[in-house]
Amino acid sequence: MRTGLRPVSFLPGSVTTAKLPPVCSLAVHNPLKQGCESPQKASSVSPAEPRSAYLHLPFCKRKCLYCDFAVLALGSAPQETIQSRFSSYTQLLLEEIGHTCGRHPAGLETVFFGGGTPSLLPPQLLEQLLAGLDNQFGIAPDAEISMEADPGTFTAESLSAYMRSGVNRFSVGIQAFQQSHLERCGRSHDLHDVQAALGLMQQAQPASWSLDLISGLPHLSMEDWRESLEAAIAAQPPHISTYDLQIEDKTPFARLYRPGDAPLPADSEAADMYRLASSLLCEAGYEHYEVSSFALPGHRCRHNQVYWTSAPFHAFGMSAASYQQGRRVTRPRAMQGYQSWVQALAEERDPAASLEADSLQDQLLDMIMLSMRTSDGLNLQQAEQRFGRAARTAVERAVARHVEHGYVSFPEPDIIRLTDPEGFLIENDVVSDIFAAVGQIPEHLQAS
Amino acid sequence: MLQSLHLSHTHQFSRVLQGTARQARHPILHSSLFPWARALAGTALSSRTRQGCSSLRQGRFQRAAFRTAVAVAAPPRELVLPVEEKVKKVPPKYIRNFSIIAHIDHGKSTLADQLLIQTKTVMDREMQAQFLDGMDLERERGITIKLNQARMKYTANDGQVYALNLIDTPGHVDFNYEVSRSLAACEGCLLVVDAAQGVEAQTLANVYLAMENDLEIIPVLNKIDLPGAEPERVRREIEEVLGLDCSRAILASAKAGIGIEDILEAIVERIPPPADNIADHETRALIFDSAYDPYRGVIVYFRVTDGELNVGDRVMLMNTRKEHIIDELGVLAPKPVNVDRLFAGEVGWLSASIKAVADARVGDTITLKKNPASQALPGYTEAKPMVFCGMFPSDGDQFEDLREALGKLQLNDSALSFEPEVSSAMGFGFRCGFLGLLHMEIVQERLEREYDVDLIVTSPTVVYRCNLAKGETMVVQNPTLLPDAGVRESIEEPYCRMEIITPKDFVGPLMELSQARRGDFVDMQFLTEARTTLIYNLPLAEVVTDFFDELKSRSRGYASMEYHQIGYRKSDLVRLDIKINNETVDPLAQIVHRDAAFRVGKALTGRLREVIPRQQFKIPIQAAIGVKVVASENLSAMRKDVTAKCYGGDISRKKKLLKKQAAGKKRMKMFGKVEVPKEAFTSILKINSDAA
Repeated sequence: MRTGLRPVSFLPGSVTTAKLPPVCSLAVHNPLKQGCESPQKASSVSPAEPRSAYLHLPFCKRKCLYCDFAVLALGSAPQETIQSRFSSYTQLLLEEIGHTCGRHPAGLETVFFGGGTPSLLPPQLLEQLLAGLDNQFGIAPDAEISMEADPGTFTAESLSAYMRSGVNRFSVGIQAFQQSHLERCGRSHDLHDVQAALGLMQQAQPASWSLDLISGLPHLSMEDWRESLEAAIAAQPPHISTYDLQIEDKTPFARLYRPGDAPLPADSEAADMYRLASSLLCEAGYEHYEVSSFALPGHRCRHNQVYWTSAPFHAFGMSAASYQQGRRVTRPRAMQGYQSWVQALAEERDPAASLEADSLQDQLLDMIMLSMRTSDGLNLQQAEQRFGRAARTAVERAVARHVEHGYVSFPEPDIIRLTDPEGFLIENDVVSDIFAAVGQIPEHLQAS
Repeated sequence: MLQSLHLSHTHQFSRVLQGTARQARHPILHSSLFPWARALAGTALSSRTRQGCSSLRQGRFQRAAFRTAVAVAAPPRELVLPVEEKVKKVPPKYIRNFSIIAHIDHGKSTLADQLLIQTKTVMDREMQAQFLDGMDLERERGITIKLNQARMKYTANDGQVYALNLIDTPGHVDFNYEVSRSLAACEGCLLVVDAAQGVEAQTLANVYLAMENDLEIIPVLNKIDLPGAEPERVRREIEEVLGLDCSRAILASAKAGIGIEDILEAIVERIPPPADNIADHETRALIFDSAYDPYRGVIVYFRVTDGELNVGDRVMLMNTRKEHIIDELGVLAPKPVNVDRLFAGEVGWLSASIKAVADARVGDTITLKKNPASQALPGYTEAKPMVFCGMFPSDGDQFEDLREALGKLQLNDSALSFEPEVSSAMGFGFRCGFLGLLHMEIVQERLEREYDVDLIVTSPTVVYRCNLAKGETMVVQNPTLLPDAGVRESIEEPYCRMEIITPKDFVGPLMELSQARRGDFVDMQFLTEARTTLIYNLPLAEVVTDFFDELKSRSRGYASMEYHQIGYRKSDLVRLDIKINNETVDPLAQIVHRDAAFRVGKALTGRLREVIPRQQFKIPIQAAIGVKVVASENLSAMRKDVTAKCYGGDISRKKKLLKKQAAGKKRMKMFGKVEVPKEAFTSILKINSDAA
């Protein structure tokens, strides 16, 4: 039943030693460059190295009208062309992986395939990518391996093939349960695909999966939104994400709509949609653990939490951003630029050589803005330890009036967090207040 | 040369590259005197105007003028006269002191350059080099080259060697007091008129100034090589409008080098030499410009009218009564050259460790301490600010920095005034006086850019007079200090007389503009069949905002204007208060005409609703006269301000946005529970005009 490589061994009896795809041998046999040692040598690894990896798969059937991610629409290209684009991009990714340092002794704990539409990628290529990662960094036995999957792009067969390669979590971009909204967004799937996709998920029973919705869409009424939320709950996903639509510059939506103006819901209505999602989902047993994320117990997305706890992570592919050795490095958004990037890596020229590590101040700002997205909140004691007493005082001073108004709470004396939903709704306002206060701490008062 | 001077003004004005344009376009800078108002020469207004120019022009200074002398490579000897030759003394009868009157863009700088080249004072390449050096210096060290006079040696057709002193009038001829002092230092002038355009309002005013000073005026029709040139029409226009004999007008093109020789000959032939007042005269010299230099103190530019000045002389300034010992004496040729002595008829500069330009004001008379002149030269006045505003540091800790910075600016800007002001809303700051809005903007910008003080500037106001019921009169420079209606008997506001020259097609729109600004029609006359002069009396408050911009936009740039203050008049004025969340925001208060209160209130509350960010509760914004609300708006509460997604690649982007949001917040002032951004205070500037 299983074919090809299983690079990881976190399922009982899953250890196989099938032949390695050629590209993996490249990574193995080419001594690693850029001063990082062979992945096999345990002595070269450091506990501060990333335990997560993000891979960007930019291909989509077509680009949604609100989307501003780095996406390559395949359109009606002939099948062979599509296949060759997939495999050459996979080779590029493998090459980048093979030339990237930073192996944690315990291997990767989370892997996330985002896009684009990763579920368009033929399963054997995804398997090669996982093998490449395993080779270079190791993949822990209990790793969370997620991929985004859009309705209409996967079948029972492809799902089980992905799962055989190790994928154990899917994030399904349903977006809406009304045909009219799917069309208006320029989604490539219809309502029928939505129902089919949910059926396939329930059948395949991955370890976890997420159902993703978008609120604040043009013409979206409160009734539509309630209907979508109820349908989502009925599908019993372990995880639900609800994203409030952001009108991004240079997207067709930006030309069509102005935030706050009809046919987009007014701000007050969009806020009510957010409140509704929070109350309905929490009633249904989901924990609202991040601004846009809800999970049944034990089903928080481990990978995304890496971002929100400022932990380091690898990233590969067009436009992907990594965080390693205190540096946030964003890869080129366009294919050609990315090719040159990988080329440079292969020639032992670090394309991000000129980037400096984030300052202490920036690390503090990251910690604030990322942790305040979560229900776990900001741990003031940790902040004080890392950034000094003045940092803690500044944060406390900045949130005082928000505490007074009920937007921020102290679940424990050393922890502050935004209240749900009212605090989350004005997250930027609160966080920018903290930024303003923290920005005024003189350098010498900051911990070194 | 003068071109670099011209450009240096641009940069100095810190309005970055727009400086000159703005300067040129600004109404305050266009005030000037008119024939029917010549009696007013030297009134407070004119002095304000000129001081503004002086201070603005001087901006940062001039040591560069002394530096470039070294920076520029010496040109080949045969092409340019050696320095000692250029500054060699000639008897007064071979000296010619002159200036150039021209409208902006009519070619003054180019003509000055040509005169310098033709007389071998500089050469083409050198001029270029100096210009570039100036730019580099400007960029690298933030200092500016100033050149306001040039001494040339010219061998005329009669075989005689003449010393020609070109005295620059301010970069733009819009500063009539300074212009009048520069002209007073001359015996003649070139009137340069674009042969395709004709006479403009400022030119007209300056020609009257020249006539008042009994100068010999040589008309020059410039740009005759352009296809649109109509020298005959313009010649007639000058004759009809100015009453000048144009039979000997010189046809020229400064750009093409046409007519330059004729101009030099005319200067020598037609402009009279200075009076030979060297011997047996008490020494007197007229200051026509001054500028602060951090190393030498103030550099004073002057024309000796009687007697002589020597290095080491103890001199006295007759109006300020200050005494100084001359450290250095020199001429500009056009680079500074030190000399030991300057006698009557000559033009030069001196340094005497003078601490601030206010101690050596334009128009003052220099005399010798040991043998003082009995009478100062006529025409001296002091600058008085006409527009006031409050300047407060955004960060209260910067109050001392602000005080120090204003003090430094004042060293080179005798028209700038400031005194401490305390506001319940804004804390400690200064009430500052300026010549006009441009002056104010420049000072604000320099404080922020050069001295790194983050400012909140309150609504600018002219100086009102409030007559109290008890019979006293109060001078009001700050709307919040206007006494309540109950104790007021009346309010008076400054008026000015405005003359507009326009092609006749735009008379309608310009009359509408003047009427909308509460103007009283005085007169309208045809200058020629195509051009008209319009005269209105207007409240100064309506002029100092953006009258000039409007004039230009409604006349497609063709109209020009001049105005001067004509005293105070009673008007039905009220104080318009702004309340945000039911609290009066003092710095937003304005004095407006009762009829305009609704319009202004409506525009202002609407604008505030746009610039104040939504907050966590609903905020009423009202404009009120006393307790009566005339306009109101509601700022609805913020509903949501959250970014839905934040993953790997979004983190940097989101952080940037949050930093920007935080930076905006640091610029806010708390009024009661409401955060009001700085922009709210400056946006008020645009309101009056939008409403009108």
